[in-house]
Amino acid sequence: MMDLLSVRNLSVRLGDFSLEKVSFGVAEGSYCCLLGASGAGKSVLLETVIGAFPPREGQIFLRGKNVTTLPPERRHLGIVYQDYMLFPHLNVYKNIAFGLGRKNFSRNEIREKVEFLARQLRIHHLLDRDVQTLSGGEQQRAALARALVTSPEILLLDEAFSALDVATRESMRRMLKNLVRDLGITVLHVTHDMEDVWALATHVAVIHEGRLLQAGTPEDVFRRPHPGYVANLVGARNLFTLSSLPSSSELGEFEVEGLSLYSTCTAPPGRKVTLSVRPEDIIVARERITASSMNQIPLKIEKTEQRGPLVWITGNTEKGSLKLHALVTRSGFESLGAHEGDSCVFLFKASSLEMLECLPSAIPGEIPDVEVPELAESRSA
Amino acid sequence: MGNRIFQAALGGITVIFSGFLIWSMVSLVLMPEGSEILESALSEEMLYSIHLSLSTSLLSVALVMLLAISIGYLLARFTFPGHHLLRTIVDLPMAFPELVLGLCLLLLFGHGAFADWLKSVGIHVVFSKWAIVVAQVFTAAPYAIRVVYGTFRGISPRYEMVARSLGYNHFNAFLRVSLPMARGGLFAAAVIAFARCMGCFGTVLILAGGTRMYTETLPITLYLNISYGNLAMAMTSGIILIAISLGAIIVFEILNREVVL
Repeated sequence: MMDLLSVRNLSVRLGDFSLEKVSFGVAEGSYCCLLGASGAGKSVLLETVIGAFPPREGQIFLRGKNVTTLPPERRHLGIVYQDYMLFPHLNVYKNIAFGLGRKNFSRNEIREKVEFLARQLRIHHLLDRDVQTLSGGEQQRAALARALVTSPEILLLDEAFSALDVATRESMRRMLKNLVRDLGITVLHVTHDMEDVWALATHVAVIHEGRLLQAGTPEDVFRRPHPGYVANLVGARNLFTLSSLPSSSELGEFEVEGLSLYSTCTAPPGRKVTLSVRPEDIIVARERITASSMNQIPLKIEKTEQRGPLVWITGNTEKGSLKLHALVTRSGFESLGAHEGDSCVFLFKASSLEMLECLPSAIPGEIPDVEVPELAESRSA
Repeated sequence: MGNRIFQAALGGITVIFSGFLIWSMVSLVLMPEGSEILESALSEEMLYSIHLSLSTSLLSVALVMLLAISIGYLLARFTFPGHHLLRTIVDLPMAFPELVLGLCLLLLFGHGAFADWLKSVGIHVVFSKWAIVVAQVFTAAPYAIRVVYGTFRGISPRYEMVARSLGYNHFNAFLRVSLPMARGGLFAAAVIAFARCMGCFGTVLILAGGTRMYTETLPITLYLNISYGNLAMAMTSGIILIAISLGAIIVFEILNREVVL
């Protein structure tokens, strides 16, 4: 199926910053998050899509039509910025109705459209108010209504919730999720907050220093992050490179300090692979237990660190070849009764041990034949 | 130097300077008799001078604002080769003595190809009332451009981008969003330009000449009458100019709070 928005090999230069050959697609009805830290280039990418910056090279297609050189007013995209950008000389009603002034709607039709969206976003009681008297959340909802009133092809959100407090942000996410579902809106949302991705996204693309590093579903990126920046961004602490062993079962087997680790991912024997297991997928017990967890690794507790209701437990093998971080609840940790220096067993399922990459073989000319996650220039949608 | 001495020194310098400034203005206002001021203010020459100053200044302010909005917006919104040079050129008249600016304009409008062309199409600027407007525009425009530039710089271009995403082209986005949002700064620029136009002396004297009851604006009235020894008329025109400038500065200070220079 053709993507609603397709960005191909887009390069943009703004002073010292450059965006390099970014490609991705957004399918109709999807909610795509562009995830990255400040200065990664995600806002530049969004503003290039809307037409604020001309790209140095590459194309932007909307419903298959090349819009790269079209001015913003002819792209039919809606945008909501982090700082709302409500027009201070207009009240809430006039702000929302602003986009309808260029279309041939009667006064009644305009009022109907504005009131419908205002009701959906629960700001219908604020329509006569001066925008400067609104709270952050109310301003954000008014900005959303203004962007949606012209039924844009895609709603672009630039760090739309970053300026809101935690509680308001959460309620905005719920409201937006319902609105997107009810109105069938396609969204491209730039954010640095993984919570936005979990709460809203059907697809996510990670951008760093002007390059798109990884794209996929949130689950894909979270479970199988590209080693390096993406892994750090999604908090993948347990990354290690091990050798693959010959395996008689359908599971992959990997060796470290004489211990075997099992994964549902397989690799040819002798191959070095990068593996990862999420800290929250690990259980810590005093001794081996009968459980479905194939991996039961005896480790010495090196460090424990309390973080509110959770506790990080770091365990290490005797020779220090495998260090694992587990995240457990505080009550779980208390009932474990373990202390630093104690020996414990770290348990996790074979399906929790993900293979992030298979390093090139030591045998010249041999090409790795395992499946690795799609990266960067593949489409996210 | 101790903290208290340092703070006392700063306060002392400020008080002394402000004191002399106020003293000089109060002297001007209190020197003549009330009846003398009234008689001078209602004289034919003063009424002509006030009328000419107001009418030329209002026309000049309109032209200055057209220039200031165009150039200020261009400088604030676009980056291009020569941007910095253009800013410097536009600011130049602020650093010029008014007499030098007047001399430059006299050469432009009185001699050479441009002056010849103006004459050929029947426009005679030099030593006419139009010269007052030209002199006022060139004197006041740099100040207004600076204020308008600061105003537009203080308005995020993202407001226009939102308007454009909603279907407005660049001109309409400017007209419907940036211009209304800049109204405080634009009004401040107009006020400061008006004050500069009303007080414009050197440039007007060189380009328009100081002809009594013809190109006689308020500063020219002050200059001519002090030359003749008619102090009451000179002081009255001075008081009127101070009142206008004071009013303009107060309005400017109130509006300037929303301008980022």
